[in-house]
Amino acid sequence: SERPTLRAVIKVTLLKHEPTGKPIVLEGVFVGGSAGKAEGKLMQYHPLSLCNTSEDERQESDFITIVKLEHRVPRCKALHDKARMALDKGAQAVIFDVSDDANAAAELREIDSLPRPVVLVEAEDAEELMGLVNKNEEAKVVIEIKMEPKWPHYD
Amino acid sequence: TEGPPACPKGCDRCSEYNGCIKCKPKLFIFLERNDIRQIGVCLASCPMGYFGMRNPEGNNRCTQCKIDNCEACFNRNFCTKCKDGLYSHSGRCYVSCPPGQRTANETMEC
Repeated sequence: SERPTLRAVIKVTLLKHEPTGKPIVLEGVFVGGSAGKAEGKLMQYHPLSLCNTSEDERQESDFITIVKLEHRVPRCKALHDKARMALDKGAQAVIFDVSDDANAAAELREIDSLPRPVVLVEAEDAEELMGLVNKNEEAKVVIEIKMEPKWPHYD
Repeated sequence: TEGPPACPKGCDRCSEYNGCIKCKPKLFIFLERNDIRQIGVCLASCPMGYFGMRNPEGNNRCTQCKIDNCEACFNRNFCTKCKDGLYSHSGRCYVSCPPGQRTANETMEC
């Protein structure tokens, strides 16, 4: 049976605009049974970086990993192992941009029991996020479950 | 229409956000951290603190030395240059030489 997908609200505030800056509000989809709140600094990881544990790039503060997946990148690990590895490295959450890797979304939707939030983004939402990364804009990210409006149920 | 980005020197396949994703044969991909960005660059030899790990599929890669107080290494576990003031012995770095080893201060070796 089709697994219910919970949507994520991703609020991004540029550190240079804190504390009064108005957040950019984007959306994504939780995967891996990992819906929940997370907060941290946005930090890009190259898709080849989450391959073996020895690459111990320790971050000081709380961070949220973003990975732009590409189908042309040789796969060193299954995506759920990459997600787990990023979380093991201390990420408060992982965001996967799946715009250019159609199989990734399907693969990631199958995974389960991840300890912290893993979110898929694509299209404009992904482009906005990766645009910030490309300009090396330090940003704080807050991820929450999107509350769908409660409508009376009509049969 | 906008064609694929021209890849930097030594790179076979690249993208706007990830930099290089596949280097030309014999080169090593190094995942360079620049604040929040991490992009792939292709090098003939790896920077200090890293060694070049080759692999059969040609995805050669700069990999971090895993030895304490080491500045340059030959492989993951054999240091070739210790940090200043430390003595090297059998690929490891020591504040003072292990028992039974004579100290050679000129070469900082045991």
